[in-house]
Amino acid sequence: MTASTPTSTRATATARAGRRVWLPAATAALLALGLAAAMAAPPDRLQGNLQRLMYVHVPAAWLAYLAFAVTFGASLAWLWRRRPGADRLAAASAEVGVFFTGLTLVLGSVWGKPVWGVWWTWDPRLVTTALLFFVYLGYLALRRAVADPVARARRAAVLGVVAFVQVPIVHLSVVWWRTLHQPPTVLKPGDPTIDHAMLAALLVNLAAFTALYALLVASRLELARLQDEAERLLAEGEPPLAGAAVTPPRPEGMRERG
Amino acid sequence: MRAEATAPGWAGVLARQALEVAAKDVRVEVRSGEALPVIVPFGAAALLLLPIAVGADVPLLRQAGWGMFWVVVLLFGTLVTVRGTAVDDPAQRDLLALLGVDPAARFAGQTLASALLLVAFQVLLAPVAVALYDPGLTGWRWLGPTVLLVAVGLAALGSLAGMLTAGLPARGTLAPLLVLPLSVPLLLAGTQVTAGAAFGRSPLVWLLLLVAADLVVLAAGVLAAGSLDETTTR
Repeated sequence: MTASTPTSTRATATARAGRRVWLPAATAALLALGLAAAMAAPPDRLQGNLQRLMYVHVPAAWLAYLAFAVTFGASLAWLWRRRPGADRLAAASAEVGVFFTGLTLVLGSVWGKPVWGVWWTWDPRLVTTALLFFVYLGYLALRRAVADPVARARRAAVLGVVAFVQVPIVHLSVVWWRTLHQPPTVLKPGDPTIDHAMLAALLVNLAAFTALYALLVASRLELARLQDEAERLLAEGEPPLAGAAVTPPRPEGMRERG
Repeated sequence: MRAEATAPGWAGVLARQALEVAAKDVRVEVRSGEALPVIVPFGAAALLLLPIAVGADVPLLRQAGWGMFWVVVLLFGTLVTVRGTAVDDPAQRDLLALLGVDPAARFAGQTLASALLLVAFQVLLAPVAVALYDPGLTGWRWLGPTVLLVAVGLAALGSLAGMLTAGLPARGTLAPLLVLPLSVPLLLAGTQVTAGAAFGRSPLVWLLLLVAADLVVLAAGVLAAGSLDETTTR
């Protein structure tokens, strides 16, 4: 157990307060810039304005990969060092990753309906992404099912490492199998096969979504830290007695004794 | 020193312990009869119900027969791997730990026992699928290695999920949720072996995929067993 001095506690609180201000402000500014870039980028020759969904769909997919990679790294770190912070980071990142995977699936479906004529098709990229979603839903379900914090961290860390195998499968599914989904245009060897104005708008949106990811993970980490702190304080305090909250009825006008 | 030289190595000890654990699990299953007498009829009933849902179209059923068989094998095979008799209570785990049984050997033994039961499960269910769907038996000789490799992969996944969910009240529902999304390579390879064989194509690539998937899950289980054992033997 490390003893923290009042100065270091104050410094940590100041840093936390600073982060509470600049990170949301930077995220809001980047999201506004991303929206402007997406609107300013030229429309697609065939799909027209519909293609602008790419500026949300693709960053959401990339951020899902990043989130699960962070979960993988934090899970390995927990298995190595057994620090509670690594477990909190793994959990926070997985939650945000599930959100981004869900967003990717929904936006892909919305984009697919007018372009492919269906909400869903049995395409390897779609199926593997949906499976990724379910694998990490299982990860979150496992976390919720285990009450003991150390047991939860240990089991989740093992699953966090094993589950990551799905991420390269999703990314390479468009290369390994014949698919309706377009192959990688940026994350591939050689020059990206995309108009450079569109690429710039995509990268701005990627930065905005990365800031959003950082904000969501930081908020979730802070919440988890406060939750742990509250649980610690509860454990240290007097255990509540059954019925302690119930007081005898006191009729009006009756004086207290003593 | 001479005695040490003749003592079996770590791998030998591990293999012997795994065989003992597998024998124990099979013995428990034979005595309680949970997997085969209950889950096989359940799977057969599912094979019977599927055509009612998709329509009793004989050419369609003939075409999709093996696919339906593999889906039922995965869904109900998961129940075989997470069956109640595969669960060691804390006292049993403590006893095995006191006897010096390596957690990796326990994982391997449970996997071996579940794989044997899954082979039996598939062998009993396959004639039902053939009788109900008449899917054609071209390339039937490839079914043997496919059944074996699917059984090993699914058993390893089930044992891994069993370790992750040991002692949890929601184990019966949580373990299948963890197993099914990760069992897709098994479904893919199983269906492609039978579909490819029907068209006279060599299914070796798909068998290699099965071998690779099995090795990955087995390695993950053996490596993770030690870490997960700390939670269960306390």
